[in-house]
Amino acid sequence: MGVTMSEKKYTKDHEWVSIDNGIATVGISNHAQESLGDIVFIELPSVGKSVNAKEEICVVESVKAASDIYAPIDGEIMEVNNSLEGDAAIINQDAENTGWIFKMKVSNPSQYDELMTEDDYKKFLEQ
Amino acid sequence: MPLDIPLKNFHEANGAKLVPFAGFNMPINYKSGIINEHKNVRNHSGIFDVSHMGQVLIETNNLHINNLEKYIPLKLNNLRKNKSNYTFLLNENGGVIDDLIVSLIDIKSKSFLYIVYNASRKNEDEKIFFKCAPNAEILHIKNCLFAIQGPESVEVLKNIIELPSDMNFLDISILEYKKNDIIVSRSGYTGEDGFEISISAEQAEVFVKDLLENKNTMLCGLGSRDSLRLEAGLSLYGHELNENITPIEAGLSWALDKDRLNDTVLNGNKILSDQLHNKPSNKKIGLISVSRSMLRDGMILFDSNKNNIGKITSGCFSPNLNKSIAIGYVNLHFDEEKEIFCEIRNKMELVKKTSLPFVKKNYKKNGSNNE
Repeated sequence: MGVTMSEKKYTKDHEWVSIDNGIATVGISNHAQESLGDIVFIELPSVGKSVNAKEEICVVESVKAASDIYAPIDGEIMEVNNSLEGDAAIINQDAENTGWIFKMKVSNPSQYDELMTEDDYKKFLEQ
Repeated sequence: MPLDIPLKNFHEANGAKLVPFAGFNMPINYKSGIINEHKNVRNHSGIFDVSHMGQVLIETNNLHINNLEKYIPLKLNNLRKNKSNYTFLLNENGGVIDDLIVSLIDIKSKSFLYIVYNASRKNEDEKIFFKCAPNAEILHIKNCLFAIQGPESVEVLKNIIELPSDMNFLDISILEYKKNDIIVSRSGYTGEDGFEISISAEQAEVFVKDLLENKNTMLCGLGSRDSLRLEAGLSLYGHELNENITPIEAGLSWALDKDRLNDTVLNGNKILSDQLHNKPSNKKIGLISVSRSMLRDGMILFDSNKNNIGKITSGCFSPNLNKSIAIGYVNLHFDEEKEIFCEIRNKMELVKKTSLPFVKKNYKKNGSNNE
């Protein structure tokens, strides 16, 4: 049984998702952090919470504005990136890697398949 | 469609992110971001293109001055030459049509009022200027406006123009840059020492490139200008000021010439005079967040019994305090000792009341660098 990290996929709300063994890691895209500017605060979601795709589950605050973060797919929040509480600017430095925001147990993997690939997302950004 | 300022291409080439603001595409920040720009201004200096702002020249004759004194709460005949004054245009109720800097300067041995006003209020202000002085000359059509702000702004500027050594905060002079006259005032809106320079659009790019020869300065956008002015406790039109707020309610009675409040020529003089003696119903306060949540314009303030006591008019992240700060109005009868709560995303969060400014002003006055 191979344990492989899936391809990174993107939502129209500028979030990225990658799945490893049924657990999705979620963050905001590099494009999103660039357009938000300096991120100064994040309100992380509650661990154990069941969420539905497109549900607002937490908030990032940049110097300019507050932006909602949505659940990209249905599932349950398993873990949050606590290091962001002390230093939300990690998202600016490394949005699509160490700047991950939360991990969730995936209840409906087909929702992941429907998300955009990196190429699709690039095209989406050009529109 | 928002208009472009003359140096739009230059800013874009230098990494500016442009956003529509008051009818113009304006740099909100450059590559290094708002917080870095903010800190660079507090520690060194920064260059802001504020060419969206209004600039007008009005000849000082009796007719013009009498007309303008209906709106401006200063004795315009007594203004000191080569001095700038923070003041207002007032409506019939004493409400603020706009806040302005009015300076008395000579250009080619003719005396003028040089007025700088908010971009968002150009229509309202210019209606008044032309009514008062039909030959008023709109200067921002041909001149750009730059602010150089920060403790090192003298060094940045004196590398490229000859600066009078005795120039203090709110002094203004016509100086020479590459054989052309430019208007230089020691002012700005960041709480730091600094200068505002009105210069022809043709010379503007060369001028800014010359300023950038100083390696400790950088281009800064309106994002950091806002967090700097908020830390300095300065009011911004459309936030702390509007047509339904008088300068007294906004805590700016120091900017009024008190004698003019007895002058029936001045719009709203009776209301202002009453407020000055009986105190207005609201007061302006500073707030600091206790949690990490950001305080933002429009958020409602409550006391511990959930009574609505006021609201926030400006909020931002303060790079100097590393916390969110805000300016707001609360009603005067609110008990000073009580806790204040701010409703943030349906939660009541405790906020701390404080006096303004959040960061001490650092203006150049009489040779000293402190207020």
